[in-house]
Amino acid sequence: MIEFDRVSRRYGDQHALRNLNLAIDQGEMAFLTGHSGAGKSTALRLLLLLDRPTGGEIRVGGERLTRLTGGAVARYRRRFGVVFQDHRLLFDRSVHDNVALPLEIAGFSPRDTTRRVRAALDKVGLLASERADPASLSGGEQQRVGIARAVVARPEFLIADEPTGNLDPQLSAEIMSLFEAFNQVGVTVLIATHDMPLICRLRHRIITLSSGNLVAEDGQ
Amino acid sequence: MKLPLFRDGHLWRWWPVWLAQHRSAATNSWKKLLARPLSTGMTWLLVALSLALPASLWLTLSNLNAATAHLEHPPQFSLLLTEQTDLDAAARLQNSITSWPQVAAVALLPAEEALAQFTSLTGLSPLLASLPRNPLPHTLLVSLEKTATELDRARVAERLESSDGVAQVVLDTLWLTRLEEGLRAASRWVLAVGVMMALGTVLALGNTLRLTVVAREEEILVVRLIGGSKAFARRPFLYTGLWYGLGGGLLGAVILWFFSGWLAGPVNALFALYESQQRLQWPGFHYPVILLTVAVLLGWIAAWTACEKHLRQLERH
Repeated sequence: MIEFDRVSRRYGDQHALRNLNLAIDQGEMAFLTGHSGAGKSTALRLLLLLDRPTGGEIRVGGERLTRLTGGAVARYRRRFGVVFQDHRLLFDRSVHDNVALPLEIAGFSPRDTTRRVRAALDKVGLLASERADPASLSGGEQQRVGIARAVVARPEFLIADEPTGNLDPQLSAEIMSLFEAFNQVGVTVLIATHDMPLICRLRHRIITLSSGNLVAEDGQ
Repeated sequence: MKLPLFRDGHLWRWWPVWLAQHRSAATNSWKKLLARPLSTGMTWLLVALSLALPASLWLTLSNLNAATAHLEHPPQFSLLLTEQTDLDAAARLQNSITSWPQVAAVALLPAEEALAQFTSLTGLSPLLASLPRNPLPHTLLVSLEKTATELDRARVAERLESSDGVAQVVLDTLWLTRLEEGLRAASRWVLAVGVMMALGTVLALGNTLRLTVVAREEEILVVRLIGGSKAFARRPFLYTGLWYGLGGGLLGAVILWFFSGWLAGPVNALFALYESQQRLQWPGFHYPVILLTVAVLLGWIAAWTACEKHLRQLERH
């Protein structure tokens, strides 16, 4: 369970988040939406401890994030799989090695690593590109490699920041159905997006932010 | 969540993982260096030359020290006799001093011979010929045993000064003291040059590694985002620094070895001309060991500082 309890983040005079209260249940899939500058990215950055709130606190599984420092931050982040809009693949290594990175960090044996990487690539339909150079793949394929990397270590939470931002509607729908598939096997999924036409068709909670405040919660 | 090998606090479980991560970081950094042979070679040469220069100066200095070491013993006194002392009296004094303890040998240098030596050494013969009489007294040259201590030297000097017919006792060590001081100054100079070169190496290597870190900034960011520790993010760069140091140190040792070989011929010929048994000292085993240690440490320090700055920048935003 992810809980934002009166969380604020101020940059100088700018309030990126104002007393945000938010709870996402274990196993839920939710969309975080709102126009640019509404605070979606700030909320995700705070959740991943890339930044700290100026007020309030965030709890994940009952654990207060303010208490985490140093090496505990790295271990905490391993509970998350993260998908980025620009996928952030490393172009100096193969698709396989990109997907294997979280496993290498977590300390899996080479044999387990290969097995899991193949399973993850198979789920996103890119098993055939295992040895490929990521730069040779299309945008949609690169995003799917990014998703494989996010899920390969079987995280509790899957976080995505505008994962369909650069994709056409059909590819976006495919990516969303991938997220739904991971949610169905018990992963809590939180996706920041402003692709309203797409998410309105899906039956999940939609959390709308505006100027750092929660303005609406729809669906289920 | 199940992580098969990782459990906090269980070092013995984490150990093989840690080892595997190091092996992977080390081999990957090595492969990346070999993929850019020209720039890697130039960096190695930079490290090698900045370390070989002070090392070769040090080698030269320790050779000079060894060459002058045998000059310290035995100390020699020049005994200037009074004008009244004639050649016979001088010979008697010579015989008596020869029997003193700690005295190895006494040579008599008659006034005429001393003048002749002085004339031939200085080339002032017309001037000296115009003098009405020989201004030099008879001189005894007293050499002490090699084992003579400072105290023995002082005792002998005292006894010589109180002997009849002795005008002045001169201990011929001033030039030796000067040489020693000169060598001491030179060794400080070498140390200073060495420290400056080492600092220069750290800065130059630091710059090279900073560029590497900038080029692979994305890797650090991604590793940190997906839960890699700072140590994990830093590791490939530390190994890059270590390889730069190791390669540079090895190359430096080879350069030093060639330098010694190149010098050995003329230096040994010079020693032979002085009828010395001395031969050029080659760099001992400790030279490559020290060179490699220093080079690896410098590379590692340079990599650490380059990373630290960058890790902090990434974490802040």
